[in-house]
Amino acid sequence: MPRAPTQEEMKAQETFADTKIIAKRGGGMKKRILVCDDEEPIRLLLNESLQDSYEVVEASNGREALRLATKEQFDLIIMDIKMPDGHGLEAIERIRERNGTVPIIICSAYRAMEDDIVVKTSNVAAFITKPIDIKALKTKIFNLIGA
Amino acid sequence: MRDKLYPRVRFSAIFFCHGLERMKKRTLLLLRFVLILATILVMTYSQRGLNIASPGYVVALLYLLSNMMVYFIPETRLSYLYVTFGIFLIDVVAISLAIYFTQGMQTDFYLIYFLIIFIASVGQDIRGSIPIAIVASVLYGWLLYRANPDTSIMDPAILIRVPFLFIVALISSYWSASMRRELKSKKELEEFAHKLEQEVERITTKETELRRYSETVINSVASGVIAVNGDGTITTINPEAARVLGGKQEDFTDTKIKMIKGLDNLWQKMKEAIESDKPLERLQISITNAHSKTIPIGLSVSPLTSSDTKFTGCVAILRDLSEVKGLEEKLKHAERLSYLGKMASWIAHEIRNPLTVIDGFAQLLTNTKDKDKVSTFNAEIHKGIKRINHIIEDILTFARTKTQVKHDELNLHDLLQQITENINNVKISIKGDENPIINGEEESLKSLFLNIINNSIDAMENDPKLVINIRKTKEWIITDIVDNGKGISKDNLKNLFTPFFTTKSRGTGLGLAIVKKIVDDHNGKLEVESEEGEGTTCRVHLPKKK
Repeated sequence: MPRAPTQEEMKAQETFADTKIIAKRGGGMKKRILVCDDEEPIRLLLNESLQDSYEVVEASNGREALRLATKEQFDLIIMDIKMPDGHGLEAIERIRERNGTVPIIICSAYRAMEDDIVVKTSNVAAFITKPIDIKALKTKIFNLIGA
Repeated sequence: MRDKLYPRVRFSAIFFCHGLERMKKRTLLLLRFVLILATILVMTYSQRGLNIASPGYVVALLYLLSNMMVYFIPETRLSYLYVTFGIFLIDVVAISLAIYFTQGMQTDFYLIYFLIIFIASVGQDIRGSIPIAIVASVLYGWLLYRANPDTSIMDPAILIRVPFLFIVALISSYWSASMRRELKSKKELEEFAHKLEQEVERITTKETELRRYSETVINSVASGVIAVNGDGTITTINPEAARVLGGKQEDFTDTKIKMIKGLDNLWQKMKEAIESDKPLERLQISITNAHSKTIPIGLSVSPLTSSDTKFTGCVAILRDLSEVKGLEEKLKHAERLSYLGKMASWIAHEIRNPLTVIDGFAQLLTNTKDKDKVSTFNAEIHKGIKRINHIIEDILTFARTKTQVKHDELNLHDLLQQITENINNVKISIKGDENPIINGEEESLKSLFLNIINNSIDAMENDPKLVINIRKTKEWIITDIVDNGKGISKDNLKNLFTPFFTTKSRGTGLGLAIVKKIVDDHNGKLEVESEEGEGTTCRVHLPKKK
């Protein structure tokens, strides 16, 4: 992603500071990540990839993600945007209303939507496309919230 | 009442009615003048001669005066029998008096009586002449008696002259009546001819108007109209039809349509309609017009139906579809493009998800030592590959052309049994006619019914029941798949078979589109009836094996 970094980095730094405080309050526990994707194998993949460093919670749809995000504290949310009609964007807006600071990474199979969605939801931290480069994702997450 | 009235009516009919033919006043005056002249002439050359002081002279003067009075009688009155009778009575009396005063019994004076009777018969035929003849014979008899009281009734002067008066009355009235009849029939004929002429003129005008009206109507029709007779000669063609054929109306009228180059298709259809005596509707053919341009036309042909065998042939209504076709092509092209876009987007999404899974787990595998995890990851990779393969199958089904479909003899009942064997969570019953044999491709048909059944199962929530009913008709094997699910809304029903349309969160939107495609590939029909909250019936018609 050569053209977005400045914006992304700014966002990452802002949110980074906030989440640190929350994490400290948690008392040195693993940081929590909410993974929302309607495809079970993808949730499994993200869980397997991240479970060594983070506590991963899975949600199979936007409503469930919203419920969890409202009830519990998360340090990061990875969200799938499904269709070109922006399925999932609404959930992001709702989460923002209730929890304004949590960094959100959008994960989608639609490359063409990247610009669109970054513009529409300027408050997302990053955009990754499927198929996922796991190493790059891990680095991105580390840059956002640390280990 | 009517019986009592009748004689009076008849009486007045005889005496007061207008004569058969009104005698012209001018003619009457002229004839009487001749009479008077004759009388005066006879009196002048009689034995006594005509002296100014003699009574004969007075008679002659009075006679002349009477003619002047006749002059003042209105012409309409002259047709009354009593008026003319009065006039001729004066004549007879005047002549009798003239004879009496001039003592002209020995002269041929009596001949004037014949003249009067003749004139009377001209005016009023036998009804006028006989009474005058009677009066004349009486007066003549009296004159003879006065001249010679010894005159016997057998005297030749009486015996011959009196009957002669009557004979003249009869003959002249017969003659005048026949003359009048002739005149009348001639006049009637003339009148009739005149009326006929007027009628012909009226009808001709009306016909011209009508023809012009129908011509205007046909010429104003926006569609092309061509009428031909039984042998294909163009009898009527309107400007629009002429424009489509690339010429003027007069270029085509009275021309045999089969002789015109490029119109073979049109004549073929017209002939078909004439021979079968049945209309052909909404056909699409193409013709080559006078400018060698191929034009697609929409065509309806109706044979002319009339009890009169003279009017055989047909009338064709045609529409130039070149513009419509052009638009259609453009639309199809745009549709294809949008479709292609949707398809590409769908493929990207559908394949990238399993690809992510395969790629991701492959990345994880390199660092995983745990044997359980390795096998889990491998299984996930395998599932992902299978899914991609399935997507490819769907695309191929969707993209394949009809000619590529293989046809095997299949028992639909057995096929459905096979499909439903592995479904355990829903009660499925298959009922219906024995041995529903069709020609089809087993795998496609399995996928067809599995897609419908899976949709039905997805739609059912409480107490799911699925009934499959197979019926045989003359041409079709009809399979009803009936569920008691939540049904489909009217809006969604419209888009049911649209590719990539889905209401399911995890649907691809290709399932029912593929169902439709498979049914079409098998020359079948597909109907969906649904009531929201009641359930859905999917009805698949497949052609029976012949």
